[in-house]
Amino acid sequence: MVTVTAEAQQTIDDYLSRLRSRLRDINEQDMRDIVEELRSHILDKSGGGGEASTIDKVAQTLDALGSPDQLAAEYLTDNLLARAEVSRSPMRILGVLFRWASLSIAGFSVFLSAIVGYFLGVVFVLCALLKPIHPQTAGLWIYPTDGADSTISLRLGFGSPPPDARDVLGWWIVPIGLVVGCGLVMLTTRFALWCVRRYRKSRVSPHR
Amino acid sequence: MFMKDLESETNADKWEVQLRKGCLELAVLAVLRDEKLYGLEILRRLESDSDLIVSEGTVYPLLSRMKALGLLRSEWVESDAGHPRKYYALTPAGKHRALDMSRTWTRFSSSMSKLLAPLKKGK
Repeated sequence: MVTVTAEAQQTIDDYLSRLRSRLRDINEQDMRDIVEELRSHILDKSGGGGEASTIDKVAQTLDALGSPDQLAAEYLTDNLLARAEVSRSPMRILGVLFRWASLSIAGFSVFLSAIVGYFLGVVFVLCALLKPIHPQTAGLWIYPTDGADSTISLRLGFGSPPPDARDVLGWWIVPIGLVVGCGLVMLTTRFALWCVRRYRKSRVSPHR
Repeated sequence: MFMKDLESETNADKWEVQLRKGCLELAVLAVLRDEKLYGLEILRRLESDSDLIVSEGTVYPLLSRMKALGLLRSEWVESDAGHPRKYYALTPAGKHRALDMSRTWTRFSSSMSKLLAPLKKGK
């Protein structure tokens, strides 16, 4: 029977509660499983040999596990890769990236890039789909401005473009929008997964 | 010059870490081949039976991922220690994967050994 000093118990509870708060994206059952498994590991490791788990032994064990942030990032990125191998849903990928974003700058940058990539992809597809409904206003338009540069804009067909604006692609927006939009969504997914794999590879184990 | 040496040493270090990490999944499948074990036992077995010195913070997320992929199944078992432990075992898909990976490993390592043989002689 492993016995734990009150101080050590408090340290374990604090660590696991911080981990739990960082694993919110993982479903409740899996999260409980992860937390209980780690509690069992901490008790076994720090209370080996029939001695009580003291604060020092618990601190050593927690140090070997890494900070709750590092550990949560490992679970989230592993979870993302496992999910991605089963389903490549952008919403799921964004959900996990969002949690990763709250844990590291790398995660934040990948999350922002993924948002931009998916957003542009969706706008291209919507533009293609709305062209037949709003043929006079939806499409890729160029607006001449006062300066030397013109403004280029994807319009979904709401409102009307200024009279001197030019519809660059015309009906070509339908096939081009679909191909470019779907391509952007696919590329963004591949990019996000590539970043996650690189992150996992770059994590050098602290206890080699 | 010193910086260059240091850099190449760090690269060799990183390469070794990557190599060990890359083998981890196969090593976990191998230690679970005919018995069920809990996380700490898996870690100790990896340390005693292989040259892999593994971070605890890496193994538990890996076990969770391998379970999500259907390679492992898990069950909670009450223990004398007063708390339950989560035991892992191979699923049929896990056994299949272990066989596949070990075949690939054997093929790859034997061809690499042939390629590296002259380097050993030259030392």
